[in-house]
Amino acid sequence: MQGVIVVQPIVYIDLGVGGMTCDDCVRKVTDTLESVPGVNRASVDLEGRSAVVEASPEVGPEALTDAVRAARPYNAFVRRVRTSRDG
Amino acid sequence: MADRFDLAILGSGSTAFAAAIKATDLGAHVAMVERRTLGGTCANRGCLPSKNLIEAARIVHDAAHPRYPGLTPARIDVDFPWLIAQKDDVVRDYRAKKYASVADALAGFELVEGDARFTDAHALTVGGRAIEADRFLIATGSRPAIPPIPGLDAIPYLTSDLLDADEAGRLTELPVSLTVLGGGYVAVELAQLFARLGSRVTVLARSGLLSGYEPALGETLGGVFRDEGIEVLTGARVERVAGAEGAVSVAVELVGAGRIVRSEHLLVATGRRPNTDDLVLDRAGVELDADGFVPVDVRLRTRVSHIWAAGDVIGRQHGSQMATPVGARQGRIVAENALADAGRVFDGTVIPRAIFTDPPIAVVGRTEAEVRASHQPAAAATTPLQYVPRAGAIHKTTGFVKLIASTIDERVLGVHMIGESAPEVIHEAAMAMRYRAALPDLVDLIHVYPTMAEALKIGAQAFSRDVTKLSCCAE
Repeated sequence: MQGVIVVQPIVYIDLGVGGMTCDDCVRKVTDTLESVPGVNRASVDLEGRSAVVEASPEVGPEALTDAVRAARPYNAFVRRVRTSRDG
Repeated sequence: MADRFDLAILGSGSTAFAAAIKATDLGAHVAMVERRTLGGTCANRGCLPSKNLIEAARIVHDAAHPRYPGLTPARIDVDFPWLIAQKDDVVRDYRAKKYASVADALAGFELVEGDARFTDAHALTVGGRAIEADRFLIATGSRPAIPPIPGLDAIPYLTSDLLDADEAGRLTELPVSLTVLGGGYVAVELAQLFARLGSRVTVLARSGLLSGYEPALGETLGGVFRDEGIEVLTGARVERVAGAEGAVSVAVELVGAGRIVRSEHLLVATGRRPNTDDLVLDRAGVELDADGFVPVDVRLRTRVSHIWAAGDVIGRQHGSQMATPVGARQGRIVAENALADAGRVFDGTVIPRAIFTDPPIAVVGRTEAEVRASHQPAAAATTPLQYVPRAGAIHKTTGFVKLIASTIDERVLGVHMIGESAPEVIHEAAMAMRYRAALPDLVDLIHVYPTMAEALKIGAQAFSRDVTKLSCCAE
């Protein structure tokens, strides 16, 4: 019997993130993003004031920025949405 | 090498800073481009330095003209260069605290000095450096408009840039005599300032003083000016100017007569025009209107979807006004709309505005003429300040408050005041209009006695009672 390969589509959402000052902030923003349903992984960059979020296409970018905003004092905007890691 | 930003802001005044603060808060990488001094007109050569000097001139004037019987006039000597030096210190200190250090503290922010020119819809060049951005905000402000008067290009003249601390065009010697072209808010503030410091001042206004405002405001101020020895020539059409450094003459056509007005200096204060000429906006696909303003929609977006404009460069579109706090509000709206797609709309319905003459003027909402033109059923009542107890108590009864209200629901549509503390009092009127208050709301509120804000309570009662017969506290 052959195995079934399920290809899960993924989008990459680039965020600008404001208000982070230290690694603790990076952890908080990462946890916040990864707790949004549909998000697989978030990598947050303190220096670049940004985050790349891997998520299923159903995840609306506004859900991500709303979550970051709710985790005061952080704030975020959507820089772009990509369909591939390099695109 | 090109740098790419999320948002490039052209200009560094209140509009630009409000946008930069909000944009960096959102996590954006922001470039701000400025070709003159950081901080824009208000901080460097507008509201702030003028208010500093106007208060000094009031001290000089009040000493020489104490309003109280029993107080002997005293003469305060004016060391004008010293006065200007302290003003420059105040401006530099304010600029350092409110602009430079604020900019230093912004993360993901870069200030780029130089002339910005669009090379295409996503790129600027600033002094040879290419700056690319996903979004742009045009917030380059305005400058004094120079009218096409024959001879003006051949003689030295002053503009409101004389207030600047660091740039060419600043003034460091008190003019012996000064001719002011214009009758708007800049003209009247500076005319009274220089007259009180000792200049002989003549104001040449094309129509009356403060045209566009409630006519009685300019008439009352004109009376005060004449009492203070400022010559005001209204209906004045300037035909030509001539002269040289320190001696200018202005040929004026007055109603039924002509006249030559001579003075040491000429101050041109005939309005302001937007700083959009050098931006090469057509390369970005943005067209200007006939007066150089940038057309925008109510969300402050130009016809090019990633280019926004706010502050003085949008003129009076959508009820906007060329004023520092209006630009700041718009700058914030642009940052939220451009980056977070917030869909915020600029609302210019309630914008209080003040002119810092003495007595000062403050207005909010519409004039009687504007309300009449809209065919809205309305009534107006004008109350002289002699009926306001505080005004009488401190011998400052010059002025009035005029309220305009709907005759359908008594909602306040406009408030126009000239008199002591008007720029403070107007905020109560603005708050009333913001929350759609009606005349009885102003009357029902217990006001501190005796304050100038009671002018609103008494002015609101003037629609239904004889306010000359009110007792204490206007109940």
